[in-house]
Amino acid sequence: MARISIDPVTRIEGHLRIDVEVDGGKVQKAWASCTMWRGLETILRGRDAREGWVFAQRFCGVCTTVHAIASVRAVEDALQLEIPANAQYIRNLILIAHALHDHIIHFYQLSSLDWVDIATIPKADPARAASIAEGYSSWPGNSRRELEAVRSKVKGMVDSGQLGIFSHGYWGHPAMRLRPELNLILFAHYLQALEFQRKACQIVGVLGGKTPHIQNLAVGGVMNAINLNSLATFNMDRLGMLQSLLQELIPFVQQAYFVDACLLSASYPEWFRYGRGVANYLAVPDLPTDAKATQFDLPGGLIMKGDLSSVQPIQNWRDQAFRSSVAEDVTHAWYKGEGAQTPWKGETDPDYTDFQADKKYTWVKAPRYNGQPIQVGPLANVLVGYASGHPLTRKWTDTAFKIISSVHDSGAHGFNLTPEELQSTMGRYLARAIRSAMLSDLALQHWQLLTNNILKGDDTTFNPPQFPSHECEGVGMHEAPRGALSHWVIIDKGAFTNYQAVVPTTWNASPRDEKGIAGPYETSLISNPVVDPSKPLEVLRTVHSFDPCMACACHTLDASGRVIARVKVL
Amino acid sequence: MSTSFVNPTVERPFHRIAVVGLGNVLLGDDGFGPLAVEMFRSLYECDSKVEILDLGTPGLDLAPYLYDADLVVIADAVHPREEETPGTLCVYCEDDLGSSRAQLRLTSHDPGVQESLAQLRLAGHAPSEVIVVGVVPESCGLGTGISLSVLNTCFAAVDTNARLLVERSIDCRRRYAPLQRSLWWLSGEHGRRDGFDS
Repeated sequence: MARISIDPVTRIEGHLRIDVEVDGGKVQKAWASCTMWRGLETILRGRDAREGWVFAQRFCGVCTTVHAIASVRAVEDALQLEIPANAQYIRNLILIAHALHDHIIHFYQLSSLDWVDIATIPKADPARAASIAEGYSSWPGNSRRELEAVRSKVKGMVDSGQLGIFSHGYWGHPAMRLRPELNLILFAHYLQALEFQRKACQIVGVLGGKTPHIQNLAVGGVMNAINLNSLATFNMDRLGMLQSLLQELIPFVQQAYFVDACLLSASYPEWFRYGRGVANYLAVPDLPTDAKATQFDLPGGLIMKGDLSSVQPIQNWRDQAFRSSVAEDVTHAWYKGEGAQTPWKGETDPDYTDFQADKKYTWVKAPRYNGQPIQVGPLANVLVGYASGHPLTRKWTDTAFKIISSVHDSGAHGFNLTPEELQSTMGRYLARAIRSAMLSDLALQHWQLLTNNILKGDDTTFNPPQFPSHECEGVGMHEAPRGALSHWVIIDKGAFTNYQAVVPTTWNASPRDEKGIAGPYETSLISNPVVDPSKPLEVLRTVHSFDPCMACACHTLDASGRVIARVKVL
Repeated sequence: MSTSFVNPTVERPFHRIAVVGLGNVLLGDDGFGPLAVEMFRSLYECDSKVEILDLGTPGLDLAPYLYDADLVVIADAVHPREEETPGTLCVYCEDDLGSSRAQLRLTSHDPGVQESLAQLRLAGHAPSEVIVVGVVPESCGLGTGISLSVLNTCFAAVDTNARLLVERSIDCRRRYAPLQRSLWWLSGEHGRRDGFDS
């Protein structure tokens, strides 16, 4: 029996520790521990509810807009305040651009190197790589010349022995199986991805005034002044600029990223058998298409025990079942108190004990839905969409399955995949790419909705909030890049008296609860193969498939805590 | 204080210059970067090619903002070397970043600056020059606010930013009258304002 402790897990946002017990080449037990305290919400207490989003936007440096939007939605929910249609569309476009940015970074910069072995790239034949890539996609960045340039760059790096930021990779690991040409294609897109991240940021900047911290939000709508006859406001020029940025960004998502995820899936079929974990899924409705938020372009719902036919819809943000079902348990987390509590009554009083596997071992609370652990994220989003017959989800899922079944190459042979099999480590990667392709289509649709509405003569963007003199409570939902996010607020005379954020990574990195039931990270690692305990690459693959972002799930305990990555084999 | 200013011998045509603040305003002195760039914006008027950006703690999301820039000046809290006290101003050039000389504060968003730069370099879109104007923080605990030692240094840091630009023949002048600053996280009044129907 080998006990492996990976602390910190690298190539994620924030600090996470994973402990696993390995026997017979497989993980038998696992613990996910967040090593940073979280107490961000205490900063919000007592503050003006109209300004909460400005602070919430600083919870995390990566998911800035995500928390800003959830925060204004929470206050609007408490006030039962409707916002103008223009405001919905402008917010939606910001959310989509941010999500695309986030998904691109996750696939290439944060996780592709778990699957792509850079050290083999010098052996790749660029002409052959180009012809493989061109067989699946019309992406212009797949030319022989482009791939030859990347190959020689990598060769220079490998020959000099100066791998720089890549020196810690598990190169040559037996679980790395892509042929050199596929490694070259994916790494070429890794480098190209930087340019498209920039375009996604520019879209957020055009709409939000600034990026990464947007300036245009308000409780009640957005502050973009719309006037087609004024140069200084949101006008046809800006709409045109937005459209061309989208048209530059979308081909990279649909022709490079999406296709790469399919090729990766076809090359590592066994990874559709590992990493299922908690098979209860939650997605919240998002991308409202009307002012009252009654219709949504991303459906919400709940799937229990991996049974897609059991999907129960969450129709809108006022869903009563959602409000009464969410609770956070602190039995195994370093907080005072016992058992589960609705977020509206949540407290964050620290009670640190050191890592005690049978008692308290993390700063992350354990959120539960009707007492059950839940997995959130793009996979939940895609499964709920597929199960509820959402046309765009079906279109892109079926397209992915078709590409995967068509792959015929020396290293990979196509196979037929079902939506049920997406419940796996590789399924999470593929679902994120399916979601990105779908969001790209939706970006153009919401651009059109905004443009049509403005051309119709509607220039309203803001309904002023009125705060009652009595206490009121609200929930703000957002289907964020990492999954269902909810901000829970209590407001009295215009100021917050309580504020709790139940973030996607809390659902997924959840520790065991009162009943000893483990969370999604922990259960997904069980039976995961580990060929070489001193190089637990396979553990990282499953952990990275969730796209951990610990910054808002918890926060720095010791600001100067310089932990150096270590793998401990006991 | 480290004074590793690079004196460019040849005048370059500049296309894009970024003055960047890094750090989390909710973690005390870690908010030095955002504070310094906001003060700089308020006190100095620059060439239109100069972008002044409060980027918070972007981790790898930093790369798009440095993409193809000619010059990047980063304001950030840095780890002290042995003898340095809180409020010490430290200026580092890019070569220092890879060495043990400059240790940028580990925020909750590592990896950050070095990884983003390395990726951009490999992709052929790295900034031509990177300078860090750092300060040694006093306290980076949870909460808004900035300690006096860091606040005092902030003015020197802002003037250093300006000097770095001027030395490279980039137009940067002290404003006759400062612009209104938006230091929202430092304002003392929390909560209740006007606008209730009670």
